[in-house]
Amino acid sequence: MNKNYNFAFIDEGSKREIRRTILKAVAIPGYQVPFGSRELPIGRGWGTGGIQITLSLIGPDDVLKVIDQGSDESVNAVNIKKFVGLCTDVRTTVKTSEATIIQTRHRIPETPLRNDQILVLQVPIPEPLRIVEASEEKTKKMHAEKDYAPMWLLLYESLIKYGKITLGTEYPLMVEGRYIMNPSPIPKFDNPKLNDSECLYLFGAGREKKIYAIPPHTLAESLAFEDVPFEKESFKGKRCRLCGSEDTYLDEMFDSSTGEKMYQCSDTSYCQEVRGCI
Amino acid sequence: MPSITKIHSFDEVFDSQRLFRRILTAMSNPGRSVSIKEFAGKLWGENPAMLAFAITLLDNEVGYCVLEDADLSEEIAFLTLSRKENAERADYIFITESALLEDAIKKAKRGTPQDPHKSATLIIKVSDSGAYELRLKGPGIKGAVSLMVPRIVREAIEMRDAENYEYPQGVDFVFVSDAGELLSVPRLIVREAY
Repeated sequence: MNKNYNFAFIDEGSKREIRRTILKAVAIPGYQVPFGSRELPIGRGWGTGGIQITLSLIGPDDVLKVIDQGSDESVNAVNIKKFVGLCTDVRTTVKTSEATIIQTRHRIPETPLRNDQILVLQVPIPEPLRIVEASEEKTKKMHAEKDYAPMWLLLYESLIKYGKITLGTEYPLMVEGRYIMNPSPIPKFDNPKLNDSECLYLFGAGREKKIYAIPPHTLAESLAFEDVPFEKESFKGKRCRLCGSEDTYLDEMFDSSTGEKMYQCSDTSYCQEVRGCI
Repeated sequence: MPSITKIHSFDEVFDSQRLFRRILTAMSNPGRSVSIKEFAGKLWGENPAMLAFAITLLDNEVGYCVLEDADLSEEIAFLTLSRKENAERADYIFITESALLEDAIKKAKRGTPQDPHKSATLIIKVSDSGAYELRLKGPGIKGAVSLMVPRIVREAIEMRDAENYEYPQGVDFVFVSDAGELLSVPRLIVREAY
């Protein structure tokens, strides 16, 4: 452990503020609580919101897993793991079931999470209404008044123009019937995992200085119309080329010399577990 | 030379982290009480569990109010350097006497529709053990949960309901007992129809 810094890098005063913010976020599910995002030795927009939450939660008894687009081995995940390791000495793991804190970007693990686990999501744009309204002052007012008509109109227009809702990631949810929330750029496939879950989800946006949460067993419904139900990505008839799973989120790969398309689990540690590699 | 001893043995880095995680567990799983006894044991005075809560979350960035308990108020100021405020402006209100609860709830900040986070957290001391059955539901609770609570918990929820807050405005409760148990009832947690 690098002894030149406080345990978990951030000073205690900053941790206290982030902890107070987390508690408020849990008390008002889906509401984006502003906080004084701290400087980190990483550029804002590279997961600093998630890192600040993780550093404020973590203690010597924790086991940390970090994933980036489902992979434990990609650059963002490896470097965050190294950084947290340097300033805490906590054990890291790739096994979802072993972790007490999982920091992630763009995916929720396939393995169902437990009540004693916390999933921390890195969020680039926390404001779900940003695609319909550029002004922060106005979106804050829209949330206050529960004025979500422009969002519904966007979905409706998409339906009229293209015959389906074309939002691929960051598909908005309604939390406890009150707040529309951005689940971060996870695929629609992962949206249902946020509803009535066992674990606590915390969302951190470092650049935008917001923290929000979905506690366990909270109603988080993907937006849909009565006659047009929510649909997640379908991989019907496709399976992972390595582990053979048919019920996971698959990445498509392309061999340019043969023109062959292949599919592989996006959650690499789940895939390895199914194959008995870890 | 006189020897200098620390008045408490609460570790501001590691005990704060562990206690915060217990409080977070309680806050995200309302109705489940968590033990903070080992942390309270590291502080002193009449209300060590409240001091443990204060040292973990309070500092000079926030304001607090202790109703009619000058000793506790001084102890919190001494320990956290947090600002003393009146009940209308405090971010954290500590209540050691059940008779003061109603007044505190009436005065507590409830936030605004735009900034519901600018609302108060009430930390309420519980002295007797659970004798009343309460059935709660809301986010964090699977279906509904039944628990035996002291009278003050039930009264606090009734008094809060009488305020008719329009969500997301509201106040959040944290109950701490002499035995070192902590129970949380955030604003969205309601009694199931009775």
